[in-house]
Amino acid sequence: MNTALGRPETSAAEVLGLLRRGAREQAFARVLEDYEQKVFRLCCALLGERTEAEDAAQESLLRVWHALERYDGRAGLSSWIYAITRNRCLSALSRRRTFDSLDERQWDESPLGPQTDQTLPEASDGRLQQLRDLVELLPERPRQLLRLYYFEDRSVSDVALMLGCPEGTVKTGLFRARAALATLLERRGLADPSYWQEMTP
Amino acid sequence: MSAHDIDPQLDRALDAALAQALRAPGLPRGFRAELDAARQRLEHINVAQVRARLQDEHREQLATLRADFVRIRRTTLGTLLGTAFAAGGGTVLAMPWLRAHFGPVAPALIAWGGVALGLLLGAAALRGVLGPQAR
Repeated sequence: MNTALGRPETSAAEVLGLLRRGAREQAFARVLEDYEQKVFRLCCALLGERTEAEDAAQESLLRVWHALERYDGRAGLSSWIYAITRNRCLSALSRRRTFDSLDERQWDESPLGPQTDQTLPEASDGRLQQLRDLVELLPERPRQLLRLYYFEDRSVSDVALMLGCPEGTVKTGLFRARAALATLLERRGLADPSYWQEMTP
Repeated sequence: MSAHDIDPQLDRALDAALAQALRAPGLPRGFRAELDAARQRLEHINVAQVRARLQDEHREQLATLRADFVRIRRTTLGTLLGTAFAAGGGTVLAMPWLRAHFGPVAPALIAWGGVALGLLLGAAALRGVLGPQAR
């Protein structure tokens, strides 16, 4: 697997080599180069709220930094980092559920969307936002899966690695998520393909 | 519509639309700087915390040792005094019987016996303190 920079991802052996030489800072710098973005995207996909995702990503990477000295290479580097990130996000989600059940707060304060993402060109008729809103109506798991799949440029293998599940499970989940979304569109009278095609550049 | 009959045209259009709507969010500005700052803060706190914890542990150990030492000295002193008084009291009570059986030399015998026992115990204690095992 290659990074966005076009070089191969940092391997466990490389990190272990640096750690053995006592170059923990350097090892962490390599980890950051390759996984900083991905960890943040995973947090965004799982939590769906940018500020919370930023906190979770920071904390996950801090946990990686702390645990780096104990990393023994038995698990793949990426699997290990993603597992730490997923655990942090799961804790946040479970806290959120407890909090929600206490005061029935709605989590729409600053969802991932154009108002928080300056890089996103917005369609003038708001159909992108409409679609995002519809995705938000899906149950948690398909919603997370859809987000991550598109965040990761439709790479099923990357999504599987990040979620720690087999590719087949990801494919099935994606199929079901899209079917659920299509059902939602149908119920709202938005299932006309031309409606969505028009906004495609 | 069931999960198995999504209109392929809608599916394609939706896929393209979703790819636009769900673009990967970029890292927030200053993310790395904040992470580095948090890391340094944590490291700093950790060193300070470890030092404080070790100092506390050291203080606790010293206090325990001191308390144990005082307790042992008190116990030893108490035992010595108790034994001495018990021996003295016992001798006074037994004196009439001792006189009847050993005659007028009984007090002197007991006194010399006490001195001999004391010297024996003292020598044994000194041997323990100065002997090779104590070093």
